[in-house]
Amino acid sequence: MRHYEVMVILDPSLEERTVGPSLDTYLNVIRNAGGSVEKLDVWGRRRLAYEINKKPEGIYAVIDLQATTEAVAELDRQLRLNESILRTKVVRPEVH
Amino acid sequence: MAKPAAIRKPKKKVNPLDKEGITYIDYKDTALLRKFISDRGKIRARRVTGVTSQQQRQIARAVKNAREMALLPYTTTAR
Repeated sequence: MRHYEVMVILDPSLEERTVGPSLDTYLNVIRNAGGSVEKLDVWGRRRLAYEINKKPEGIYAVIDLQATTEAVAELDRQLRLNESILRTKVVRPEVH
Repeated sequence: MAKPAAIRKPKKKVNPLDKEGITYIDYKDTALLRKFISDRGKIRARRVTGVTSQQQRQIARAVKNAREMALLPYTTTAR
């Protein structure tokens, strides 16, 4: 089990209120694999430094979690399949 | 005639990170990282920033991570 931090940029056309619950459903992957979600922090709409997919804004969310390598890799894969997710990043804060 | 240039005594720089007591450089902390990039978005050299080489590497990694997540620009032509 390791501590991971996952950052997600979502499509700005989404409703901000629905972001938290919809991300939470993805996190069941972690919970089912025996990991735990420590924090889900939705930053809200934020201007991007450059356009991604022609979009000048994005909704940022940061998730702190404890999980195995495989569980996080699966979470990242599933997130990337969603078209309304512009970008993801997984970081282990202890090594970086 | 031409005199050899006088030996410059470089002013000792204060390490900005040690001064603030920062040990972990977070890529999400754009306010901090902006101190280490130029107006055009380039990473400032160590001789300018005055940090240790280990810290400079951490800064570089944090800036690059922040760029990937569109928190910092890759380039800015304006300004």
